[in-house]
Amino acid sequence: MANYGGWVGKTLRVDLSNGNISIENTLEKYKDYLGGTGIGYKVLWDEVPAGTQPFDPVNRIVFGVGPLAGTGAPCNGRTAITTLWPTCWPKSLVASGHMGGNFAAELKYAGFDAIIIYGKADQPVWLCILDGKAEIRDARNLWGEGIRRTSMEISRQMGPRASVAAIGQAGENLVPMSVVINSHSHSAGGVGSVMGSKNLKAIGVLGTGSIRIAGNKEEWEKAVNYHLSLLGANNQHVVPDSPQKWSEYYGPTRWVASPGRRWGAASSSIDTGSCDPHNLNRIAYRTNNAAFFLGERAWKYTVRGNGCSSCPIRCHTILKVPSVSSKYGIPEIGQNTCVGMLFGRNFFRSFPDGPKGETSIEACMVGMSLADDLGIWDNYGQMQRDFQELYYSGILKEKVGSKEFKSYSWDEYEKGSPNFLFKLLRGIALKRDELTTALGMGTGYHLERWGIPEKDWQERPELSYWKMGHPRHHSSEEAGQTGVIINTQYNRDSQCHSHTNFIRNGLPLHVQKQIAVDIWGSTDAIDAMSAYSPMNVYKAKMAKWSILRKELHDSLSICNWMGPWIASPLKEHNYKGDDSVESLLYSLATGNPKSREELDKDSERIFVLHRALTIRDMQTSDMRTKHDTVPKWIFKDQAGKPPFSSGSSAMDPDDIKLAMDMFYSEMGWDLETGAPRTETYQKLGLQDVADVFDRNGLAVG
Amino acid sequence: MTKKNDGDILKRNGPSVHSSNPCFSRREFLFMGGIIFTAATASQCWSSGNSSLIIIEQANGLVVGDPSKCVGCRRCELACSEFNDGKASPVISRIKISRNLNPWISNPGVKQFGPGTFGNGLVIQDLCKQCPHPVPCANACPHNAIVLAPNTKARVVDSAKCVGCKICQRACPWDMISFDPDTNRATKCFLCNGNPKCVAACPAEALKYVPWCDLTKIERPRISPNTFISPSKASTCIECH
Repeated sequence: MANYGGWVGKTLRVDLSNGNISIENTLEKYKDYLGGTGIGYKVLWDEVPAGTQPFDPVNRIVFGVGPLAGTGAPCNGRTAITTLWPTCWPKSLVASGHMGGNFAAELKYAGFDAIIIYGKADQPVWLCILDGKAEIRDARNLWGEGIRRTSMEISRQMGPRASVAAIGQAGENLVPMSVVINSHSHSAGGVGSVMGSKNLKAIGVLGTGSIRIAGNKEEWEKAVNYHLSLLGANNQHVVPDSPQKWSEYYGPTRWVASPGRRWGAASSSIDTGSCDPHNLNRIAYRTNNAAFFLGERAWKYTVRGNGCSSCPIRCHTILKVPSVSSKYGIPEIGQNTCVGMLFGRNFFRSFPDGPKGETSIEACMVGMSLADDLGIWDNYGQMQRDFQELYYSGILKEKVGSKEFKSYSWDEYEKGSPNFLFKLLRGIALKRDELTTALGMGTGYHLERWGIPEKDWQERPELSYWKMGHPRHHSSEEAGQTGVIINTQYNRDSQCHSHTNFIRNGLPLHVQKQIAVDIWGSTDAIDAMSAYSPMNVYKAKMAKWSILRKELHDSLSICNWMGPWIASPLKEHNYKGDDSVESLLYSLATGNPKSREELDKDSERIFVLHRALTIRDMQTSDMRTKHDTVPKWIFKDQAGKPPFSSGSSAMDPDDIKLAMDMFYSEMGWDLETGAPRTETYQKLGLQDVADVFDRNGLAVG
Repeated sequence: MTKKNDGDILKRNGPSVHSSNPCFSRREFLFMGGIIFTAATASQCWSSGNSSLIIIEQANGLVVGDPSKCVGCRRCELACSEFNDGKASPVISRIKISRNLNPWISNPGVKQFGPGTFGNGLVIQDLCKQCPHPVPCANACPHNAIVLAPNTKARVVDSAKCVGCKICQRACPWDMISFDPDTNRATKCFLCNGNPKCVAACPAEALKYVPWCDLTKIERPRISPNTFISPSKASTCIECH
């Protein structure tokens, strides 16, 4: 086996049932799957039989990182956690959650590319991983504690540099809507209860090792700086949100830095100032997601940007809101991003001082403080949307019974008081009553429990619900048919940002279209948002490309929330980026040169294995009608405008059928079923999949 | 010490230094440092293999950090180890962020809720102070392996002389000497020969390379250092003290 850089070469295998710990060679077994989700899907295919339930001891939970994790390649902080998904309804299927923070890097420094965990400990344990060795330790004294205290206790034992990924009370109590969190605020949704089912409270990692860069160090420095030069702000938005002297364009983006906008709660207030894209020493000031999501008021509470190891774009914001300490008895410091930051606020329909007033910020602080300690997941905001709908429609009152209903202060809730959150969120983590138990199950199982047909949710655009218990994640509202196709493919919300980050990067359409020609072959691949043209083959190419880049990023451990880097803020390059920057970094880091096309093939193998797992576990190859479904609301425009008219986000049913045909065709899959053919598996080196499907009648010729 | 050896040290410490520029000469040592040795002492210091090296000169500059700007991304640590050593390794990085990132419990001397992501959010960058005479790490080294770099006057590890005994690690009050387990050598900030990679890599302008100033009197030590000095060095000290 060649001596590769990038990977550290070992995968840790832990059987919690008997305490056996072993180490295997990552590259011998998983090199064709790169790392991250690639390793995860491969382990589930090889080791978890069809029909397994998420909380069965035989279910695997795989913490996978890739060859770029822990290096200086920008944005490599994410750990992919793959397992049978407990909120996937009506049947659990494979999916992955992704957490940022410092865990991925520390795992590599500790000497491992992945951790495969299975079995069930007979009492609470935590896994201590220290410089190439692992040990199962007693966690009885941590069971029942929140995530922050658990992280502290384990850091005390391992040392201050340790990165601790822990579950809270929600995961312990097998609440499916639960997370694992590392580095204070970096969570992966859905998997907390799988850890809880194994009696695994936490994983602490600490290492003094290194990751060798195989290529010449001067070339590596050049490549890293080149990649940095292509970066925009969060979500690879490449133009600022306000007019700047250096900028030709501006638009509604996450590039919010501007002279006068200050980190007001820094020990000495700091102006984000001018962030000319050529100044790589000011990248960290471009983004402030608290200000993006909570409005101008958030600037004065901003301590600083925070985020993952190696990432210059700080998508988490640390806020200091002194009033919450005395008003609600929570720490005055809080941090998160996007739906994690909005966790508390989004339960409420209104606040006494408006949607972006002080109370909404306080609700965010209370929500973050509780959810990130109890370890509750919100399924990309679906929990809050469900809650509001169920309450205001009267269904909630009807289902929980009057005694329980009266135990909540609905007056406080309707007034928008963050105090309401304490009882509700603690209840979810403890499964205290009917309401909180149901909310903690995830939308699919919740609706089933309360006898509400899924289709009721699928007709309501404002609920954003897609299918199988999960919401849309950047679908037709942003990227027309391309967004729809992507949202049909996964067993949870699709989590793909390759398409939306390009569509919403802030560049004018005519500039985006020039880039689209280079990447997908035609200006027709993209439309203006909510002014869609009928389906064409270039949109199918874009959908395929987007999914494959997502899997590539998830497997190399670079952030698909930050990529892709096909557009840049560089006017002198006509705002073009580079779609082979992944291959450049991969080749230099590992010393295993691969072209863009070769890496695309690797990611196709990974994605098709995900498809095969879905087919195997659903026991049907009819993906088209049984899996790749769309909710009815995508065919409606809220203003009633017909499809393909300006300002309409409505899709057309026949056009979506054509979209799926074109996508299957681009993938080389069977048009009738949407299943990969035997020859597709063979072409991708998945002969074992083809053989299994041949035997059990799931093969499609 | 000959010019040839000086050149070797420079190459070992970084690719961008001109090998023709000597690390330092005895003349520079004697006169730039403003210390007058007797001829006999000087001769003893420099001609014999057992001579004791005492660094007198100040560094030209040092890297300083602004904790209120640090965003905790560790890109400086990665630039330090990857661009100088060809590997990502926070442990050998000569700027230390990781150890201050997480909870306040990590910071010795801080008994209350303090810096760190789990504390008040501040990340304190630990940096080499390029100490004035008496330089703790250099004085502690029994092998005279911590020497003066020529253009920056940084205190640097001569990896040909270093034997990996780690005595210097215990001597630095700020715990700034790293040990590379792959090479079995100590390593410390050498200011990247005048272009510090950490400063160039910081995405938040939180690091600066500034003219040298003495921070040793105002920054609280991180550890209780071992202050033992070998008898041969101590005898050299007596020449002046």
